[in-house]
Amino acid sequence: MKTPSLGEFEELVLLMVAALHDEAYGVAIMEGLESKLSKSVNISAIHVALKRMEEKGFVKSRFGGITSDRGGRRKKFYVITAFGKEALDQQYSVRTDLYQQIPKISFG
Amino acid sequence: MKPTPPHKALRFLRWFCRKDYLEEVEGDLIEIFENQYENSPSAARRKFVWTVIRHFRPEFIKVFGLSQRLNSSSMLLNYVKVSWRNLARHQLYSSIKIGGFAAGIAACLLIALFVLQELAYDKHYKASDRIFRIVRENTWNGDLSKGAHMPHPFAATLIQDYPEIELAGRYNPSVSFGAGGNEVRRIDRKLSQHEENIAFADQSVLNILEADFLAGNPNKALNEPNTVVITESIAQKYFRDDDPINKIIILNNDESTQLKVTGVVREFPLTSHFRYQFLISLAEKEFFEGEASNWRNQNYITYIRVNPETDVSALEEKLENMVQNYILPASIELGVEDDVSWVRTTQLKLQSVENIYLNRSEVGDGLVHGDIRFIWLFTAVGLFILAIACMNFVNLSTAKSANRAKEVGLRKVIGSNRSHLIGQFLVESILLSAVAHVLGVVISLLCLPYFNSLLGAQLILPENILWPVFIIIISIISTGLLAGIYPAFYLSSFKPIKVLKGKISTGVKSSALRNTLVVLQFTISIALIISSVIIYQQMDYILNKKLGYDKDQVLVLNGTHTMKDKIYTFKEELLQVPGVSSATISAYLPVDGTRRNNGGWKTQGMEDHESVSGQHWAVDADYIETLNLEIVKGRDFSAQIASDSQAVIINESLAKALAISELNGDEIYNWLGGWNVIGVVKDFHFESMKNKIRPLGLFMRPSRRTMAVKVSGSEIRNTLDAVTSVWQEFSPNQPIRYTFLDQQYASMYSYVKRLGNILTLFSGLAILIACLGLFALSSFIIQQRGKEMSIRLVLGASLQHIFHLLTGNFVGLIVIALLIASPLAWYFVNAWLQDFAYKIAIHWTIFVYTGVFIMVIAFLTVSYQSIRTAMMNPVDNLKSE
Repeated sequence: MKTPSLGEFEELVLLMVAALHDEAYGVAIMEGLESKLSKSVNISAIHVALKRMEEKGFVKSRFGGITSDRGGRRKKFYVITAFGKEALDQQYSVRTDLYQQIPKISFG
Repeated sequence: MKPTPPHKALRFLRWFCRKDYLEEVEGDLIEIFENQYENSPSAARRKFVWTVIRHFRPEFIKVFGLSQRLNSSSMLLNYVKVSWRNLARHQLYSSIKIGGFAAGIAACLLIALFVLQELAYDKHYKASDRIFRIVRENTWNGDLSKGAHMPHPFAATLIQDYPEIELAGRYNPSVSFGAGGNEVRRIDRKLSQHEENIAFADQSVLNILEADFLAGNPNKALNEPNTVVITESIAQKYFRDDDPINKIIILNNDESTQLKVTGVVREFPLTSHFRYQFLISLAEKEFFEGEASNWRNQNYITYIRVNPETDVSALEEKLENMVQNYILPASIELGVEDDVSWVRTTQLKLQSVENIYLNRSEVGDGLVHGDIRFIWLFTAVGLFILAIACMNFVNLSTAKSANRAKEVGLRKVIGSNRSHLIGQFLVESILLSAVAHVLGVVISLLCLPYFNSLLGAQLILPENILWPVFIIIISIISTGLLAGIYPAFYLSSFKPIKVLKGKISTGVKSSALRNTLVVLQFTISIALIISSVIIYQQMDYILNKKLGYDKDQVLVLNGTHTMKDKIYTFKEELLQVPGVSSATISAYLPVDGTRRNNGGWKTQGMEDHESVSGQHWAVDADYIETLNLEIVKGRDFSAQIASDSQAVIINESLAKALAISELNGDEIYNWLGGWNVIGVVKDFHFESMKNKIRPLGLFMRPSRRTMAVKVSGSEIRNTLDAVTSVWQEFSPNQPIRYTFLDQQYASMYSYVKRLGNILTLFSGLAILIACLGLFALSSFIIQQRGKEMSIRLVLGASLQHIFHLLTGNFVGLIVIALLIASPLAWYFVNAWLQDFAYKIAIHWTIFVYTGVFIMVIAFLTVSYQSIRTAMMNPVDNLKSE
């Protein structure tokens, strides 16, 4: 089976999910990305990316418990699947590979 | 207290968002909102709204769109399937339902075609808002009269005096001046052919009425005297492959006046009031000496085209100057007091070209006019028939509701709600409506030629098919909805439990509605039938009334004037033919289409203004004998008495108007001089029955356009052959053209006959559709009460009793319909009869006969099923439960 493609923003979100391990839910991912990228990210974009990756099987989700925050709404936590990890690895190796091939010339 | 996010945005989110995503999305949004709220409440709100909007995208939107569409499209198929099964199961009902509807639609379409064509008259001119006809209005003794004829110099003066008038032109269609029917031939050919559509016209009339030139100079064709412009079909007929331009044609074998063809125009459209085929130039034409400066005689219909942006009502007011400066002075100069005061009342009006055709008989212009009343009548009849067909539809649907009740109940039980059911029944009725429309279109296409001949019209299908298709689709949907809405609401209101328990009311509740619809249907049908019966009676009265002359077996020969003086020997020869008993030469015959004139008659002592307006007919000595007029006083003309050349025979009306009671050798006078009254004939109908018989005087003068020949005996065919061969001897280059007087008489009233035919057709259709409905309805009700009847039979009810029970209801309904329809029909037909001076009295028996007739038909319709039920073995009906 062909590995589904992983877009740039999706890749970022997926990395964040993996990094936050078990504590990754919408707002946390957004805040994490905002601090790393130093720019504002809209939650809707993250939701879209999460839903797509869940469909592709890169992440799986579960609901958390009810709290009094969030208007009584449960959090939805995401964790990376083995398949998602594989996709990340593959992406990483392609990039490293290509990076290695850059000739050692001086840009000075 | 926790801050609350914007209410509306949240509601919107909850409305569109997928249920399985909503909790997460809403939670995240609220968390972000709460975090931000501490910094800036308003920014948080804005952000929240914005984010909600950002979520409004396909990934998050609820599937209501998709899943429901899927559901309803598969349900749609189910609806269609169930509809089809229902149709197939009840073939009788279905065919009545669809067939009746289709017949109604076909009738409606044909009527629409007719009405639209009538309304389309004279709408095709590019500058139609700037084209006007000049009309005069005079009020004399309280009577308003309108005319379209203007003096010879009128048009030219208009152009001179009114800068806002761009073009002005006249035409003269008067038979008296040689327009109308003439014998036409090419100068280089022998054979003359008869042509009807000949008129004299100015070049500018062609420009104003936008004649479409195929050959010749469009702006100069009629600028020279003795030129003629012909239409395409005439060019084809006379010149075939030759170029017609500059060829010569002549009229009535008269080689002294040669007409040069200077233009060929496309045929004027069917929907144009102006449909001449030969237009002879009026340039430098005077029909009598000094006409070009004569403001007294009015013989020209005058059109103008005004400049764009002209204030038409201001122009109309300024036309008063034409009366003051030209027409009135001419009348004063003549010095007849009455005429002057009559002319003083003249008002000139501008009549838009679009209004000419439908302005029935108001303006005396000798044109064929449409009748706006007919258009209304037809529209009403068409709508009535459609209404009857729709009612059938409603009636049958509700009546059949019992059969559908279980289906409705079951559908409700398995989760269908009311709107689904309404949808289902509407889909079904739109489907039926579509089938009926397609069928109706096919029927109307097939019937179009027949309808045309019935109507005496030339209806053609519109060239542009887009609009009709659009309208038909609209009509499919609207009549489908209209006819389906009641059944839909009614059927969908069934309570499932009651229905499934078998406790349905079998549509008894709606019997009031059904009865009303039946009454309405029969009211319309009965009114139509009564109207057509009365119209036929009037027609019969006209055709068989004693006219005062004998119209049977009189042959009328047309175009005899081309024989000139040889006509007298021709007449002598004709009298030798066996079977010809007498003949008379006169252009004045008592039917339309022959010559007429009008002028004053007076006695010795009378002043000019006291003179009696009447006809002055030039006849010959055999006129009274040939037409078998009855002489009540005095004697007939005699060719032997020389003084009879100054003698006059008058009709009773003239005798009464001039107070001549005894013949004492009195003289009476017209513009030709004095005439010695030698006889009085009984009044005879020489004009339409719409008018009272007017005063008339006959005197002996040549007028050779037509000849009336009285034939006798049974060998008419042989006599005709003999007459034809005598004709060929005298006029070898002109085919004989004859009619019979009675036919010509009948054709004067062909419109009455057509009206009768059409109404009969439609009343037949109406009664047929109504009866179809009644039949289906009665068989339905009988089916519902079948068990009841069987039990009654078992308990000893007689056949008669059962029959009475089943038919009594319908008889009552039809009596009600008769009671409503009779005064309605009486009112309308009576209004129509007011057109006629000579008319039948509407007798009450008509209503009775129509009532009995309808009753019998309805009775037969209902009784078929009733008798079947009454004759049935009750066991068959009762053994199964």
